[in-house]
Amino acid sequence: MNKAASPLIEVQDLQVHFGSPAQPVRAVDGVSFQIAPGETIALVGESGCGKSVTAMALARLVPEPPARYVGGQILYQGRDVLQQDEDALRAIRGNEISYIFQDPGSSLNPVFRIGYQIAEAIELHRSDVPTRQEVLDLLRWVGMPDPARAARAYPHELSGGMQQRAMIAMALACHPRLLVADEPTTALDVTIQAQMLALLTRLQAELGMAILLITHNLGLVAGIAERMHVMYAGQFVEAGPTEAVLRAPRHPYTRGLLHAVPRLEGTRERLTGIDGMVPHPARLPGGCRFHPRCPMCQTRCEVEAPSAAEVDDTRWSRCHFWSEVPPP
Amino acid sequence: MSATTATAPQSGHSLWQEARRRLRRNRLAMACLWIIGIYTALALYGEGVYRWHQWRDVTPSYQRTDLDKQYLQPSYLRAPFAREQMDWATGETYTVSGWQRWGAGWTRLAQHPLGTDGLGRDVFQRLVQGTRIAYQVGIITSLIAIPLGVLLGCLAGYFGGRTDDFIVWLYSTFAAIPGLLFILAIAMVVGQGLLGVYLGIGLTMWVGLCRLIRGEVIKHRDRPYVAAARALGLSHVRIIFRHILPNVFHVVIVTFTLRFPAAIGTEVFLSFLGIGVQGEPSWGIMISNARLRLWHGVWWEMAFVTAAIFFIVLAFNLLGDALRDALDPRLRTEGEGDHE
Repeated sequence: MNKAASPLIEVQDLQVHFGSPAQPVRAVDGVSFQIAPGETIALVGESGCGKSVTAMALARLVPEPPARYVGGQILYQGRDVLQQDEDALRAIRGNEISYIFQDPGSSLNPVFRIGYQIAEAIELHRSDVPTRQEVLDLLRWVGMPDPARAARAYPHELSGGMQQRAMIAMALACHPRLLVADEPTTALDVTIQAQMLALLTRLQAELGMAILLITHNLGLVAGIAERMHVMYAGQFVEAGPTEAVLRAPRHPYTRGLLHAVPRLEGTRERLTGIDGMVPHPARLPGGCRFHPRCPMCQTRCEVEAPSAAEVDDTRWSRCHFWSEVPPP
Repeated sequence: MSATTATAPQSGHSLWQEARRRLRRNRLAMACLWIIGIYTALALYGEGVYRWHQWRDVTPSYQRTDLDKQYLQPSYLRAPFAREQMDWATGETYTVSGWQRWGAGWTRLAQHPLGTDGLGRDVFQRLVQGTRIAYQVGIITSLIAIPLGVLLGCLAGYFGGRTDDFIVWLYSTFAAIPGLLFILAIAMVVGQGLLGVYLGIGLTMWVGLCRLIRGEVIKHRDRPYVAAARALGLSHVRIIFRHILPNVFHVVIVTFTLRFPAAIGTEVFLSFLGIGVQGEPSWGIMISNARLRLWHGVWWEMAFVTAAIFFIVLAFNLLGDALRDALDPRLRTEGEGDHE
C-alpha cells in the first residue's frame, strides 16, 4: 500500500453506483489503490465483480447516467479526475491515460481505415508531429509486418492479433503515462496472447509508462504484474506483491481462483471451481460478502464484515481468518 | 477460418465499395438507376428550358396557348404512300403525296411527340416541366427532412434520457397528426404554392427517418468502438457525427430513395387538389386538366403523365429495396468485422 512517494494515480475510497439512489447497485464500493510511474498493477476477479467499472472510472469514462460517482477521489498527478470538467477530461483521455479493450475487432470503427483511426488519435492530442509518418512509425513499433498496407486496411481485413496491435498503436499514439488494458488478451489465441504480453512489456520498457492490467488470467498476472489486487463484489479482498499473493494467498477467494487454474506440474487432480456466483451488487449478502461461497465460513463471517487486515507491510487481506488460509 | 479468407474482400475495400459491387451485380437495380438517370436528365433539360425562357423573358412553348393545335394526337410516322384526303370545309378530295405524308409525320413527331392538350400546349414539354418540379419537390423536401431527422435522431439515440424523451415526444406528436391534414394546414398557413408543399412534406417526412436513426444510434452507442473513441478523448459531437453517423448512414440513403417518390406523389396529389403548384405544369395539374376530356377520347395526356409517375415511383422503390439489400450488414459475407 505504501509505494513510491508520488504516485502517478491514487484512488481513494472510490464508490460508483448504478440504479436509483434509493436502491443503489454498488458496482464499485470503496476501492483504494495507487499506481507509481512505470509500475504494472493487476486487477483480478471474476466477471461482474467491478473490475472494468473501476478501470473505466479512472478517466471518468463510465457513462453518467446510469452510473453515479458517489464518493471517493481519483487523484491523477495530484488533481481529482472526478472534479474536472469534460474539456479537461478529454485532454487526459488518450493523452495521459489510454485504454485498450477486450475485443479489438469491435473496438475499431468498421467504416474507417486503420491509418485514419490512428491518425485521428495523433491529431487530437499532438498537432505538432507529421501525422502520416507517425502512423507508419507507430505501426512498425507495435510489430505490424507491413505498416503501409495495414494503414490502408479496414479493420475487418486484419486478423485478431493484428487488430489488437492496431488498437495498441492507437492507444500509445500519444505516449500515455498510464495504459489501462482491460482484458487485452481474452479474445485472442494463446500464441497471440504470448506475443501481446511480450509486446506490452517491451513497449512499457521503452515508454516508461504504468500499466493497469484487468484480467481473470492469473498466468498473465504472474507474467508481468508487480502488484496485484483481487476484487470481489465491488471491493478489494486482497492486495500485495504478485509473487507473494500467488505463492501464499491470504484470502479464501484468491485461493479459490488459484485452484481453478490448471497446472502443469504436480498431481493431476480435478480442478475445483468456486461454488455459486458473484452476488448481484444490488443484493449483497450481510457480513463478509464472500461468506455464502467460502469454504472456511464461520458464524462470525455471516454477521461481521471484515476490514482490511495487514498481513505484513506490503500486503493486506479482507478476511477475519486470513492467517488460517491454507497454502494453495 | 480458412473459409472466411476465401470470401473475404480484397485488401483496401471499404464496406461502401462492397455495397457498390453488390449493387452493380443486381440487374434490376441497374435498370432502375438507368431509368432514374433518364428522369434526372429530363429534369435538368427542363430546368434549362425554364431558365432560358426566363432569361429571354418570353412565354415558354409549354405555356403558350395555340387554339389551332388543340388535342393533337401523339404523333407517329406515316408510311410514305400517297393517300386521298377530303377537305372537310369544301368537300373536295385531293391527293397527298407519299413524301408529303412522310415529311409531315416527321414534323409532327419533332413538334409534339406526345400530342397537345386542350389549349394546344405540347404535352411532352409539359411533362418535362412536371419532371423538373417533381425533382425540385423531392430534393428540397429531402433537404428539409434529412438534416432534421438525422440530427434529432442522433441526439435522441446518443444522449438518451431527457433529450430522448423530448425528441420522442416531438416526433410522436407529429406522427399522431394525419399527414395530409397537416400538410394541408401548413399549405393554408403559408398560402398556396410550392413553399407550402415543401414545408408541409418536409416537416412530416423527417419523423420516419428520425425514428430509424434513433434506433440505429442506440444500437451503436454501446458498441466497443464508441467506448474506445471516448477513451481516446474525442468529443461527443465528433463521436456522433464522425464515428456513429457513417455507420448508420445507409439508413439515410435507403430512406431517401423511398421517401423521394413518396414526396413526389404527395406533391402530385396536392397540385391535383389545387393547393400545390400554381401556374406551372406540375404532374398533378396535368392530371387534373387531362381528366376533363378523358371521356371524349383524349387519352394521351392522362396516359403519359400516369406512366411518368408510375415509372419514377417504381424505379425509386425497387432501387431502395436493392440498396437495403446491398447495404444491410447482416446480409454481408462473413469475415467482415461483425462477429456471430
